[in-house]
Amino acid sequence: MRKVASVAAVVAVIGLCAWIFQCMNGLQVTGMRDQSSWGLYITNFMFFVGLSAGGLIISSAPKVFKLKGFGNISKVAVLTSIVCTILAICFVVVDLGSPWNIWHLFVYGHFTSPLMWDLCVLTLYLVLSIVYLVMLRREDDAAGVSSKLRGMSIAAFLVAILVHSVTAWIFSLNVSRAFWNTSLMAPWFVASALVSGTALVLVVVVALRRAGKLRLEDENVQKMAFILGVFVAVDLFFLFCDVLTGAYGGAGDAYDAIIMVLAGPVAPFFWAEVILGVVCLVIAFKPRLRASANLCVVASICAILGVFCKRAQIIEDGFGNVNLTYPGVETGPAVHGADGAWQGIGSALAYWPTGLECLVVLGIIALGVAVFCFVYPKIGQDR
Amino acid sequence: MQYALAIDTKRCIGCNTCAVACKIENNLPDTMWWNRVLTVGGDHTDTPQGSFPHLSMSYITLSCQHCKNPACTKVCPVGATYKDSETGIVMQDYKKCIGCRYCMAACPYNGVRNFNWREPEYTFDFSQGSEDVPSLVKGTVSKCILCNHRVKKGLEPACVAACPERARTFGDIDDPNSAISKLLASRSNYQLLDEKGTNPSVRFLS
Ligand code: SF4
Repeated sequence: MRKVASVAAVVAVIGLCAWIFQCMNGLQVTGMRDQSSWGLYITNFMFFVGLSAGGLIISSAPKVFKLKGFGNISKVAVLTSIVCTILAICFVVVDLGSPWNIWHLFVYGHFTSPLMWDLCVLTLYLVLSIVYLVMLRREDDAAGVSSKLRGMSIAAFLVAILVHSVTAWIFSLNVSRAFWNTSLMAPWFVASALVSGTALVLVVVVALRRAGKLRLEDENVQKMAFILGVFVAVDLFFLFCDVLTGAYGGAGDAYDAIIMVLAGPVAPFFWAEVILGVVCLVIAFKPRLRASANLCVVASICAILGVFCKRAQIIEDGFGNVNLTYPGVETGPAVHGADGAWQGIGSALAYWPTGLECLVVLGIIALGVAVFCFVYPKIGQDR
Repeated sequence: MQYALAIDTKRCIGCNTCAVACKIENNLPDTMWWNRVLTVGGDHTDTPQGSFPHLSMSYITLSCQHCKNPACTKVCPVGATYKDSETGIVMQDYKKCIGCRYCMAACPYNGVRNFNWREPEYTFDFSQGSEDVPSLVKGTVSKCILCNHRVKKGLEPACVAACPERARTFGDIDDPNSAISKLLASRSNYQLLDEKGTNPSVRFLS
């Protein structure tokens, strides 16, 4: 674990340097432009809030509903959540054009903004999950669940649901983007959070078990894989509802947005999501396949990548599907400019990240790995 | 009070004078345009719509719509973009803006909000703009503010004053006796993307 942590720390430092470079030169070093003003950073922000919320929900749900849990994964799951929350906040910070003005959020906070709501809920969520982890560490699961711990589980569970709903609202409350403006988005985000969060916890616990750092019965891995399958099924159901609703009209903004994911430039992300989801379903629901912990990890990785593909669609379709269809409108001022990277409305991807953005993202993820490796030995996980 | 623009698409010849006047007045850096001229129909800029011999050609100009119900001001987490209660102009505070670009995601009109992706760069090494326009700041959003600095002095926005075809009319649409209100009452006109509910203050006479 030491070794992993040190390698991760080095990558994190490289990412930090990349971010400093970005601060000095401005966001022109990213692939974002006026037409597609959010990119990989915000994709990852959504993605990591989901990973975090999902992890916390599956670790607290058994206590909330007084069910039998998944063995001693609670603490690992909450730690994973905490790390993912910190990373999500990092992703917002690196996305800012003027990070040196970040204190304005606390001084001039404007509370009609869903971003402000998210900031409040994320902070509350981070504090709650840290307190929750400390409580879990104190009361070892063996002695049963005290009422105080149960109360805390309920609070953490509710705020975890809220945090990803608010993240969905950042997008879905905008009339400007047909692909976003749907009331389905908040419940759907919660479903996707359960998918990616459960999958991440599964990967982490199997890896820790392999490294001899965690004791976990095979039966619990299978149980998690099965429940992952259920979540993926719900997620795919929501996907189908969304596609059907958009496509059925046969014309209009919502239709254009859906066609763009079904058959337009964003299609690879859509179909990858569908295929990855189906692969995960097959593994999760076939007892013979599920019996192998390795295949469960494969299913989880498919699930995680599938959710990431959905997040990428939100950015690509949201910005790629322009409302005003005058020729040349999509070139935008100060943007793709003379190099002509754009070929016209909806015929190419609106955005593609630069190497530097990828470096920053890798750095942030590495930071998470390093923090996890550093804190894990301290949470009193029995092996 | 709601200051507004009426653009006569029957008069506009697509000469881009308003776009250039805006660029000079506000000392906009290279490659940044707060006001652009777009061709209606057609496959490319400056190509006609329809098929021969039934061809027609017309233009609109696109800049901040100064909506009565703006989507951008609601979502700004620090209130850096706000509706001025006195003039109805959607303003932009470069000092407050943190550069999250949420306003750009929330605005349904494409490319009217311009982010400063780098330190502003100019071809000339002297400022061309009016002396009372604030300098643009790297990492913040900027856009048309209806030449608020001119309006305060009782002048029309630069794009209106410069239009050689007199296709642009500026005024208060909340005042029924203003020239612009009378013009709008006498001619059929439309708003861009009125279905989004933003109620733009820029009207196109058709
Ligand atoms: S980019 Fe600036 S003006 Fe726009 S929403 Fe963010 S802080 Fe407000």
